[in-house]
Amino acid sequence: MIFLFITSGLFLGWTLGANDAANVFGSAVGSRMISFTRAAVIASLFVIVGAVLQGQGASDTLGRLGSVNAMGGSFTVALAAALTVYFMTRAGLPVSTTQAIVGAIIGWDFFTNNAVDGKALTQIVSTWITGPLLGAAFAFVLYHLVKVLRKRIRIHLLRYETDLRIGLLVAGAFGAYSLGANNIANVMGVFVASVPLENTSFGLFTLTGSQQLFFLGGLAIAAGIITYSKKVMQTVGRNLLELSSEAAFVVVISQALVLFIFSSSALSSLLSRIGLPTVPLVPVSSTQVVVGAVLGIGLYKGVRNINLRLLGSIASGWITTPVAAGLLSFFMLFFVRNLFGIDIGHSVTPVATAGEGVSTSLIVRYSIVILLIIIAGYLAYMVLSEKKKTDRLNRRYYE
Amino acid sequence: MSLFTRPSKELTVRIDEFFDTIEIGILIFKEGVRAYANGDHKIFQDHLNKIDELEGKADKLQRGIENDMIIHSILPQQRSEFVKLLWQLDEIIDTAKASLNEFYIEMPRIPPALVHDFISLAEVSGNAAEELMPAARAFFREPHLVREKLIKVYFFERECDKAAFELKKRVFHEMNDLSLAEKAHIRYITHHIENISDTAQDAADLLASMAIRQML
Repeated sequence: MIFLFITSGLFLGWTLGANDAANVFGSAVGSRMISFTRAAVIASLFVIVGAVLQGQGASDTLGRLGSVNAMGGSFTVALAAALTVYFMTRAGLPVSTTQAIVGAIIGWDFFTNNAVDGKALTQIVSTWITGPLLGAAFAFVLYHLVKVLRKRIRIHLLRYETDLRIGLLVAGAFGAYSLGANNIANVMGVFVASVPLENTSFGLFTLTGSQQLFFLGGLAIAAGIITYSKKVMQTVGRNLLELSSEAAFVVVISQALVLFIFSSSALSSLLSRIGLPTVPLVPVSSTQVVVGAVLGIGLYKGVRNINLRLLGSIASGWITTPVAAGLLSFFMLFFVRNLFGIDIGHSVTPVATAGEGVSTSLIVRYSIVILLIIIAGYLAYMVLSEKKKTDRLNRRYYE
Repeated sequence: MSLFTRPSKELTVRIDEFFDTIEIGILIFKEGVRAYANGDHKIFQDHLNKIDELEGKADKLQRGIENDMIIHSILPQQRSEFVKLLWQLDEIIDTAKASLNEFYIEMPRIPPALVHDFISLAEVSGNAAEELMPAARAFFREPHLVREKLIKVYFFERECDKAAFELKKRVFHEMNDLSLAEKAHIRYITHHIENISDTAQDAADLLASMAIRQML
């Protein structure tokens, strides 16, 4: 019965593996620097390891947003997120599993009259902005370092390429580990509170209930990587991110670092111990971090190389994905409870009594702020593209 | 696609060997023209044999490098451009060999007044190709230096054009004792010698764009 309920999470994991593994190995496989088989084996292995060893932190934050306390509810929420991702991908709209699951959980909160944890929501939403920004910053700095280093050591191009190939594998393994650690929360986070699994000892080590769930989610992601990511990797490598090998290496490292930072409880406690502000452990969209990293490299090469349309598509995804997933989740929960009579969970912190909860008006306020950011971004894009067009016309006129 | 063995090391050696072969071929070409113009037919014959051997070696190396690059998936993104570069470099030694063969087969009569001009023309044309090699080598280690190394290629190519123009003008305007057939023959041979620097220039253009892409 438990397995039946977690199938929606496994499906979500499968779509995540099929799509997001391309962020890690897409450029390397697309450019034929690494064979797909090798990439798939390494990515699958490290995704599972990352999910089991380090998946707890981000999952806890998602749990604070809405602790879905019935298996039927978890099933419906994960299914709503998976369907949102599926349909939006098919419609060619920018979509992220992270944003879909957040929207779906908020939909559950509304439906069951649970208060949305304002702090958790703020943390999550803020990382949607800081994640790509941090990715861009890392990529900018690392790309500069790689360029300077290469110039200094005067390494032969062929030797450099061989080293980069090994570097891409290591970076890819780190990226897959971080992807598993950070994004397993999207796949299995909603089941942690509702699926009661006992700790299981394997002699040398013991897996907690949530770790067992993460392991299953990791397997689903691995299945997505092995069965469906080849096409996506080749498309990403050749079309969207046509990068040089060294740029691809920098992008993967940057993405891995960002995902690692937002999922490492060890790093968080270290920062706390030395008196620095801690990093929230939150699932972030690997695709958006990759786009941020690519933009960082674009910035390094000159503003002219930046595709501002990409920024606009990221920002629009911040609104459309959670709203679509939230609405779908709300209506699906209604049908699941009233049509099939399945328990979808109950209120733990009702809106009226919740101390730290946020009301609907606060969510609307957040949405308006994000909408304003999108409009400002769009206006900036329009102004810049208009300026570019005028410059081009002027140049042509004077030539 | 072996990862931990290093096919690139062996390939690096082969690419260097290919460049060496082209470079020696150019020197042999210059010496061959000098020997022919001075009437040293024995030495000319030796140079002809030598360049034939070097051209065969360059072809073999070029094919080997291309195969290795495909088998081991080396430089997958720049492979087509790099293969084109190899092809153009090989074209230089091919043209040099073809020019010496034309001297051997057609035995053009070079008037004593033009001996010096012919030697200079071969020298300048060969220099353009010769200066390409340091730039090609730099592409692998210091792509930022390629552009400045290519300046000499463009310089010698222009000098070669000028020298060929002067030589042809002299033949057709001043040397009335030569028959039209002889004049046309000299023009034809001059054109062939010029071809070497033109091929070097084409390779230089390609190399410059490859270096720029490397630096981005």
